[in-house]
Order: sequence, then structure tokens, then C-alpha cells
Amino acid sequence: MAQIFKHVLRFLNSANRLIDVGMQRKLLLFSLLLFLLHTARAQTKSTINGYVKDASNGEALIGATVFIKELSAGATANSYGFYSITVPSGNYTIESIYLGYETFIKSVDLSRNVRLDIELAQQAKELATVEVIDPNAEEESRKSTNSEMSVNKMDIQTIRRIPAFLGEVDVIKSLQMLPGVSTVGEGASGFNVRGGSVGQNLVLLDEAPVYNSSHLLGFFSVFNPDAVKDINLYKGAVPSNYGGRIASILDVRMKEGNNKKLAVSGGIGTIFSRLAIEGPLIKNKASFIIAARRSYIDILARPFVSILKNGGALNFYDLTMKTNYNFSSRDRIYLSSFFGRDNFLFSRNQGFNWGNKTGTLRWNHLFNEKLFANITSVYSNYDYHLQFGQTSDNTFSWNSSISNYIFKPQFTYFINSDNELSFGTESIYYTFVPAQAISVSDGVTTNISLDKKYNLENALYAGNSQKIGRILSINYGLRFSYFNYFGPGSAYYYNDTIPGIRKSVNHEVTYKKGQSIATYHNWEPRGSFKVQISDRSSVKGSYNRMAQYLHLISNTTASNPLDVWTPSTNNIKPEIADQLTLGYFRSLGKENQYEVSMEGYFRKTENQIDYIDGASLLLNKYLEGDLLSGIGRAYGVEFYAQKKTGRLNGWISYTLGKTELKVNGINQNNWYPTRYDQRHNIKVVAFYEINSRWSASADFVFTSGTPTTFPTSRYVIEGILIPYNAYDSRNNVRLPPYDRLDIALRLEGKRFKKDGKERKNHDYWAFSVYNVYARKNPFSIYFSQGDMRTPAGQPIPSQATQLSIIGTLVPAIAYNYKF
Amino acid sequence: MKKTDILSLFLGALVLGGCEETIHPTLQSANPVLVVDAFITNKLQTQIVSLTYSQPYFQEQLPPGVSGATVSIKDNEGNTYVFSESPTTAGSYEWTPSGTGFGNVGNVYTLSIAVNGQNLTAQAKMGRVPKVDSITFKQNGGSGREKNFYRGQFWATDPVGPGDTYWIKAYKNGVFLDKPSEVNLAYDAGLSEGSDFDGVQFIQPIRNGINPDTTDVNNNPVSPYSPGDSVYVEINSLMLASFDFLTQVVTQTNRPGGFSELFATPLANVSTNIVNENSNGIVVVGFFNVASVSGLGKRFVN
Repeated sequence: MAQIFKHVLRFLNSANRLIDVGMQRKLLLFSLLLFLLHTARAQTKSTINGYVKDASNGEALIGATVFIKELSAGATANSYGFYSITVPSGNYTIESIYLGYETFIKSVDLSRNVRLDIELAQQAKELATVEVIDPNAEEESRKSTNSEMSVNKMDIQTIRRIPAFLGEVDVIKSLQMLPGVSTVGEGASGFNVRGGSVGQNLVLLDEAPVYNSSHLLGFFSVFNPDAVKDINLYKGAVPSNYGGRIASILDVRMKEGNNKKLAVSGGIGTIFSRLAIEGPLIKNKASFIIAARRSYIDILARPFVSILKNGGALNFYDLTMKTNYNFSSRDRIYLSSFFGRDNFLFSRNQGFNWGNKTGTLRWNHLFNEKLFANITSVYSNYDYHLQFGQTSDNTFSWNSSISNYIFKPQFTYFINSDNELSFGTESIYYTFVPAQAISVSDGVTTNISLDKKYNLENALYAGNSQKIGRILSINYGLRFSYFNYFGPGSAYYYNDTIPGIRKSVNHEVTYKKGQSIATYHNWEPRGSFKVQISDRSSVKGSYNRMAQYLHLISNTTASNPLDVWTPSTNNIKPEIADQLTLGYFRSLGKENQYEVSMEGYFRKTENQIDYIDGASLLLNKYLEGDLLSGIGRAYGVEFYAQKKTGRLNGWISYTLGKTELKVNGINQNNWYPTRYDQRHNIKVVAFYEINSRWSASADFVFTSGTPTTFPTSRYVIEGILIPYNAYDSRNNVRLPPYDRLDIALRLEGKRFKKDGKERKNHDYWAFSVYNVYARKNPFSIYFSQGDMRTPAGQPIPSQATQLSIIGTLVPAIAYNYKF
Repeated sequence: MKKTDILSLFLGALVLGGCEETIHPTLQSANPVLVVDAFITNKLQTQIVSLTYSQPYFQEQLPPGVSGATVSIKDNEGNTYVFSESPTTAGSYEWTPSGTGFGNVGNVYTLSIAVNGQNLTAQAKMGRVPKVDSITFKQNGGSGREKNFYRGQFWATDPVGPGDTYWIKAYKNGVFLDKPSEVNLAYDAGLSEGSDFDGVQFIQPIRNGINPDTTDVNNNPVSPYSPGDSVYVEINSLMLASFDFLTQVVTQTNRPGGFSELFATPLANVSTNIVNENSNGIVVVGFFNVASVSGLGKRFVN
């Protein structure tokens, strides 16, 4: 305001010479009026802010919309349920909507700042699966909220209805039903997003990185649906507060725990059982949730499987816990923790186990109505352990782990209803233990461990989410990341050689504690826009640059728990990705009950890691000598159509995509497809409401065959048959396509007892069949000389074998309860 | 340390819904390449350099021999060993020792092959081997189905000095155990470089590597050795490049299938140390190694 007055004065002074006094006075009056009007307007702005929560259990509703009907100005509740809108003072109608909840409407006198905590009531569902949406409210909210593209938000109710493997609901399996997300098949840990590898996704559980998000070799994820509240998958347009991986960010938020009453829920299934207990510690102010799972399929299968009879085991368990306390109207503290373990034992004391441990402590603080802060500190650890040897005289044991300590203060400043500024920093301290191996041979112990590695990854970010007029909204931001690999440790320098051959070590340099071995930094600009072309359609686009300093080293057919995480070093450079997206989104139907979209993406990557033929990646000090570096590109188009209401609802997604690498030393230096390049990726998910108690769901998956390498020829050396590819190609062939149909039936428990009173237990039975037409989807095709010994002088047989991990239909029953 | 070595020992037996079927996919055709199999030893028996062509992958015939080549090996002391083609087997070039075996430990040997206008060459150094001290047999014991099985192990000590690599061959009742799962390699007394087992007794997995991997017609395991069986254990020296080559060969050929495929590496060509002096000439694969050998036999008397 003062600035304007200053400018006006300056103008007047310069204009003085040109205009007469009378005119001057008029100008002065005019400018004063302008000034007063302006300051008057500025002084009469008010902020409404608060938390949006579920009325039945106090859970923060992430992403709920709050808007002011008269102004079409609104905001979305953040990850903690907090919202803040600054508008000119006045009397307004505040509405809040969230899928599955009744719309909240309230008149509010905004002549001064107002704190309004909103509680939304869950919709009474006569029909369990039909969501009744107020189409006008939804439309308003869609128009007034920020541009969000390439984000898939999955709510837990939808996840619960998708037929799952063996009757168990799974977060990541459900995400794989969305466009752009795929997997190379059963048995593969992790998932692929838009042609990125498994190690290029950042998986966060309450802000703690989870390094292996799979149980049982990829059949289930580590996320217990009883404890999960909200899932956001960023496939592109990643805001500046996230960084560290180049393909996607999966942000999973846990429930806080019912802070109004004690609730017990769980399920008993053919593979594992779950139990979750949540409740208030101090009503409406503090609560907790503990959710546990344990599998027992190995116990059940013991009589049938010989390896299980000799002490073998294949099981997992996990524990997810959280507690929180609102100790003032401006402060909230959360403590969450996850602990999970998978065991794969071949006999009583031989086998391997692996798992994640995380702990997150967060403090939400409202400095004022407009400045929200979240300070997070995290501990996360992933480790695996192998043990061989039947007697204590002759054993081999090997541990590997990665652990980090993270400190992340993040701020959001809700400047006004058109601008939301976020800024903050993140510091991650890593300790890598690539291998701690002890070998006992005839009672003599030898330690064959590799050096630990220490790193620090820091980032600074700032971004703004801005609305320009009624049609355009933009998000722009910049993230600066800095990485330091420091001692104690050794750095190896390798001799150059023909690319594709193992590099030998030239010399080794030892570094003391704290001495920097290699540093890298990157500027990561982020930007996205949304143009509301009409009431029902919009165009969105984005550009991201992402840097990744940690690499998942894996040269196997599919990612598995023994893959090694390695930091960037003097030899391994950070991976960089530049991604562009452009999409068109539209609602159709009288009540906007259909949503269709088409989104194209293009991602160019640098410093992609691949391996020489015959690379030795485990327990190898000189691992870097077996690595090669190249460039990658992934591009495609995603089509999505969803019917949101009605007895029959669901969606179809189709992704046409390509992902390839070009590395000197591989495939004769030509572009070659990655192991997870699937040209067509079709998913169909349908839900049908049969009656008030029975509902059905089905999903169909079709993905093109993944690339693999076949030989062309064979030769024999010293009686061993060796396969040979005369073109030195990699991934020159495709496996047969993968397709699968699953169905499930759900029977809701009776709502009322015989005497007419409502039952406290909300339960349901789920009957499912996975892989209904029993297709033997190939996981891999391998070539070998067969099992039998060839007599001398006879030609050695050669055969090809196709392996399917699940080669039959798998029925399952599960019972779920909730008190 | 190879993931598949370890895991293939165990995971092959795990049956939990995975299923395999033999298929016959169509493969790309390719021109044949020259294959040189030149693993020479100092044993008192005819040494063979085998020269063949590669075949299409599914052609289950003996590899076609390449006749009319000139094959000789020279050492660094000026001796030349000339290999002549066998009159009965095409592609098999032989040299028979008279009195003493081929070569001496520490010498460097150069293989020269002139075939169809191409000159091929390779080099190998003969390493040392320790002697095999003894061979013992033991019953498994414990509980479980294999408690009455007998396993054999050999006892030997790697000489001091890092970097000795070996291929330990075993012959049961005169039959060479050469299935991919039976290839027994050692780096000093351990499994791989960096495991620091120099100058000590061979570690247990290597000592036990002389047991055959056999099943009966119903795919049930049988006892590796039974009373009355004889075993001959032979330690062959390898140069480091040969050890790497054979390690890659095992990775590519040892495929127990089943869940171990989850940890298997994709198909890739193995290395070669044979060079065609004409870089645009026919492609050559295979390996040349010169080994000193020590051996010991034993009959299992209960």
C-alpha cells in the first residue's frame, strides 16, 4: 500500500511540470482515494483455517476440499487435514466435501479471522458401494482446487473392494490397476511407474522411506490396509517438497487412530490374519492404532511340502503402530512406527530373512492462521540376513543393510486464496553396510566384510501454488539437492577398458572420517499448470527435473529382496530425469458420473546403471568395475475412463508405453528395451452391487510380454552345453503376454440382530478366485541342458523351460470384522 | 559369491505352486561361429584341442568338427607342441606325451590355430596345484529323508600366495561329474576373490563339491556315494581368466529352475580368450587353459 502511495507521489512530482495546479489537486485526491481504497481492501481480508476430520473417529481427511461458495475460492486439506483460505472479509457459506462423506455446509461470518475445525460425517450407505456425490459441489470443488496432475489418489474404501490375491486386500496390487503402473509379474518385488525401474520409486510410510515394499517376494505389500488412511502416487508433476527418486513418489499415510472410541478390526484368511486395535488415549485429543499381521501358509502347507517338513518356513509378519496427541489447538505430535520381517528358511538354521524398520516423529505447529509447519524426524532401516551351514563349525552368514536418519522441517504459508507457498529443507544421513559376512570353516572364523559407506543428502526447496483468474492455476518450484559421500572408507579408481568388459582396479585411496570422497549437487526445477477450458474439462501439463543419489543394483530377472542399494560414489553418478507431461481431462454425463482422461508423458534419463554380462554384484568390493552407465528414455500415453456411480461402476485404463536404455558395451551400443518394457498395459476393474448384502467385483489385466534374451546357438566346452547369442543382443525377444482375470464376491454381515438392534460387529466375507482361467503366465524362459547326465560320446540335449510362478487358479476365503 | 550358486542348492527343491513346462520357441537363426575347446593338462594322456562349429540351439547332435587346421602350442622357452588331427574324429587335434606330461608350472603358452585362412591365437599360464591329501566319506545322520546318505569330501590345503584358482574335477566310478551343478571352482581355498581364504584348507562347500547331483527316475534324490563306489578327485589349475570364464559358464548353465529363477541372471554370452587376428573374420568362442593336475582316488569301503 505504502509502495503505491510512493509511486503516486513520484508520478505527481514528475507530472507537476506538465499539468496545471488544478489538475494536480484532482490527481492528488484521486491517488489518495486509490490509496485508501487499496489499504481498505487490504485491511479487510480474513482467514478461515482449521482441520478437516472424520466425525466418527477424528481422522484427518487428507485432500478434503473446503471452499467458499460465493467466491468459488477454496483449498484442499493437506496431509494433516489442515486448510487455510484468505479472502476479503464478509459473510460466506463454507462447504466441505470429501468422497464418501456428507457435504458439510455452514454459514460463517468472516469479518475477522476464524478458526473452523470441520467434522464430516460418513455417508449412510444403503448400498455399500454406491457413492452419492453432490455433482454441483464436486464441480465447484474441482474448479477451485489446485492443479494436480499425474497424481493418483487411492482411497482405502476402493482398495478394499478390488479382488486381491488370496482374498487379501493390498495397497500396491490396487495401485497396479491404475494407468502407468505395472509389474513384471508375480514374484517380482516392487512396481514400475511409467517405464521406470523398481528402485526409482520413493516409497514413504508416514514420511519414512521403505526400501523394500514387498512381502513374500512381491505377492503382498508391507502396507497393512487396516492402518493405511491415504495413498498418493505421484507419477509426474512432483511438487518441490519431494525428491530423491526419478520415476515416482508413493506417499502412504497411516491412520491416526480413532480418537473417539475404541475399535477393533481384523480378518482371518487363508494366508494370513490381521488384527488392528485403535482408540483414544485422551478423548478427542490423543489416540493410537496398532495393527499386526502374521502369515501362516507355511504351517498349513507343512504336510504337503517336503522342504517345510525339514524345518523350512516361508512366512512374514508386520506391526504398524501410531500414536498422536493434540497438545494445544496449534500443536500436534505424531509418533509412527513400522516393523516387518520375512523369513525364508530352507531348513532349521539355513535361509534368509529381510525386513524394514521405520520410526517417524512429527510435530505440526500453526504459527498463525496462515503459516503451517511440520517438523519431521525419521529413522528407517532395511536389512537382510543370510545364513548357511548345518553345524556351527561350518557356517556362512551375511548381513546387509541400509539405514537413515532424516530431519525435515516443512512450512506452508497460505498467502491468500490464490497463493500457497511451501518451503523447507530435508537432510538425510545414510549408512550403508553392503556386506558383513562371516565364514566359519572347520571352526576357523574369517571375516569377509566390505567397508561401510556414509553419505549425507541435503535439499532445500521452495514452491508456490498459484491461481490466476478463474481458469488458470500453476504450480512452480525449485529444489536444490546436494549429496556428499564421505569417509571413513575407500574409493576405487578403475582402468578404462573396452565397454562391456570388467574394469580392473587401478588404485585405491583411503579416506578418513568426515573427509569428502565425492560430492554432487543438482537444481531441480518443477512446474505444472492446469487450464480449466470449460466447466467440465481441463488441460494439464508439467515439467519436472529429479535427481536420484541412491541406486538399486540388480541384474536379476526381477527385483528381489537381496538387491543391493548403493550410493553415488566417485564412479557412480547421480541419476537425473527430465519429464514432460500433457493431458486432457473431462467429465461426462448429466451428473458428471463419468471421468475420462488422456495423459502423455516423456521422460529422459541420464546416468542409468546397467551391468556387464557376467557381472558379480554380491560381496564384491569392486562392484563398480562391473557397472556400466548410459541414458534412458520412456514415453507413452495413458487413457483412463471411470464410471463413478451406479450399481455397476469401475474403470478402464490403457497405457501404451515404451522404455529403453542405451549403454556403451551392451547390445552393440544400440537402444535396447528394459526388462520391464511392456508395450500395452490394459486394466479393467468393475464393481457390481447385487443387493444390499452381496456385491461382486472383477478385474482383468493384460500386459504385453516383457523382454528377455534368447540364444541363437549352442556350443560345448569340456562336456558342458553353453548357450550363445550370435548378435550379442540383450532383451532381443518378448515373453508371451500376461493376462489374468480375478473375481471376488463379498457378503456383508447382517446389520441388525433378530431383536432389531443394530449389530456392533460390521463384518463381511470375501470369496475370491485369482487367475480364474488358470493361465500359466510366464515369469521367465530359461535354457539348459536338462537334468540327466549325458553318457560320453552322446550329444547333449538342449531344452527351453517356461516358468510360471502362479500356474493355476487360486481360490481363497477371508472373514473380516470390525467392532 | 554368486546368488545362484547358493540359492540353487536349496530353492530347486521348493515346490509351492510354481510350475514349469518345456517349450520349443522359435529362435533367430545365425551364422555358425568357431569353437575352440583347449583345456590342456599335464596328465600322462593324449591332450586334445577340439575345433568345432557352433550349432543352432535346438540341434541336438554332436558338434561338427572343423578339419584341416594347423594347431600348435609354443611355450616361452622355445618348445613347440604340434597337435595333429585325429584320423577318426574330425576337429579333434591331439598331442600324446611320451614320458613326461605337457609343460611346466609357471610357463606361458601360446596357442596358434590356422584354419580356413584365419589365424587364431590365445595365451595361458600354467598355475600350481596342491596335492590331494585324503578323501573321506561320512553318513549324513540326523533326521530327515537323507539321513542314510553318504557324502564324500576331499582334503587339501591351498598354498600360500593369493590368487591361485582351481577347477576340482571328480570322477565317480570312472564317470566325470560334469553337470553344470557339479562344476566345482575355487579361488584360493574359498569361493571367490575377496573372500580371503589364502593358504588354508579348502572350505567345506568346496570339499563337498565332489558329490554328484543325481536323482532317480522319480526325481527323488539318491545317495551320492554308496559302499563300493570309487571316486577320483583331481585338482586342475586355472588362470584367473579361466576361473572367470568357468564362473560365467556356471551362471549361464546351472539352472535348477523353480523359485531359484527369481534370483537368476538373464542370459548373456560368456567370455573367451581366443582371438582371431583378423578382427573382421569369423567369430571365435571357447577357451584355452593349461593346467597342472594333482589327483587321488579312493574306493568307499564301509
